Amino acid sequence: MDRNITIFSSEGRLLQIQYAFQAVKEPGVTSLGVCGDGAAALVTQKKVEDKLIDASTITHMFRITKSIGAVVTGSLPDGRAQAQRLRYEASEFRHKHGYEVPVSYLSRRLGDINQVYTQHAASRVSGCVVMVCAVDNVDGAQLFKIDPAGSCLGWSAASAGSKDSEADNVLEKRLKKKKPVGERETAQFAISALQSVLGADFKASEVEVAVATAGVFRTLSEEEIDAHLTDIAEQD
Amino acid sequence: MSGPYSYSLTTFAPSGKLIQLEHALKAVQAGATALAVRAKSGVVLATEKKLPALAIPASYQKISVITDHIGVVYAGMGPDSRVLVKRGRKIAQQYKRTYGEDIPVKMLVRELASVMQEFTQSGGVRPFGVALLVAGVDADGEPALYQVDPSGSYWAWKASAIGKGMLNAQAFLEKRFKANDELEDAINMAILTLQETFEGAMTEDNIEIGIVSDVDQKFRVLTPAEIKDYLDEIA
Repeated sequence: MDRNITIFSSEGRLLQIQYAFQAVKEPGVTSLGVCGDGAAALVTQKKVEDKLIDASTITHMFRITKSIGAVVTGSLPDGRAQAQRLRYEASEFRHKHGYEVPVSYLSRRLGDINQVYTQHAASRVSGCVVMVCAVDNVDGAQLFKIDPAGSCLGWSAASAGSKDSEADNVLEKRLKKKKPVGERETAQFAISALQSVLGADFKASEVEVAVATAGVFRTLSEEEIDAHLTDIAEQD
Repeated sequence: MSGPYSYSLTTFAPSGKLIQLEHALKAVQAGATALAVRAKSGVVLATEKKLPALAIPASYQKISVITDHIGVVYAGMGPDSRVLVKRGRKIAQQYKRTYGEDIPVKMLVRELASVMQEFTQSGGVRPFGVALLVAGVDADGEPALYQVDPSGSYWAWKASAIGKGMLNAQAFLEKRFKANDELEDAINMAILTLQETFEGAMTEDNIEIGIVSDVDQKFRVLTPAEIKDYLDEIA
């Protein structure tokens, strides 16, 4: 039973949460998020298995409010549900309190929601990790990662998916050398880091990129991504 | 009752034990060490807070303020503790609204313990994977420190530790504890006790300290700068 629903195993662990973390890695995709000075960027691999699929309809990036955005890694249907919930919570907050929800509050709210699934047998835990970012005029650029266990932490850079540990190493090393400043540097830092983790250069159609700057979150078009990729290639 | 799960997941074994609670305690014992020391004039809560290198320590607080005069720290599963913190805050506010007075520490503890007990008996839920150390100073100036377990049992302490390093920490505290220490001495004792079970170098970013004193009866978490001062003094 301790495998099927979230009750404690004999070692005091919750196996369903452990399995959920495996589910996040299952699609074989890695994503990462980076906080720069005045900007935050989210990057994820775009893998479309079937050539007949209309790739423009598949995305793991979600705009939650004008200024807050998220990338989901793992189960896309679960991720969409989480993104919709984030949108709902943000909207309720705005309606109730009269001002835009702070990204830290929204992220912790999702963490608390995920925790409930780990304690009540009636629902299973979420099968995805969500990274939320925004730039606001109080705390600047922020990045939060919410996982199936319900933990929510703020990060200067974070990763999720099949190569998350390698990605963390790359991010830590590169951030120690230099923190990116502004949208362009932050986006390129993130793209370049992911290329390094995967050991290969991208085509613009193989990656999704989104950036948050003061008050705005947007996903980049293929042309913009291409421009960044060219820039990165020229710098090397 | 969660629909088809209107039966308890925590049931008695032939030995009379509630096995899920034993497992929950293991989850607590796997958590980072948290400890507390009651002084003559207040209470100190202290805990390890070791986060990955890329994480931002300021984004995560293990020690939480429940009301102006009561704080809590946990050992075990962080996400579970947030449910109890939220409930505790609501309970305290409801008490204030009903009676016009700040909730006494032992009544808040009783209510929180009751919540934890419910999750050992209600349908479709598992017990909390946390133990709590609740500290506060009541209106009459008496400092109070309580521990609450996943089972919902609670009891008062002069000093206590929970989590990974609890055995070493408790042994250390038993030897050194003095009943009429001042709050400052208690803070230093708490830090020294943490050091006993701490792996690596202790800095102002990888521990958290919360204090409440009978001078103003306000529970607050120390800033990293304040912690650094204490660490420098002890060094």
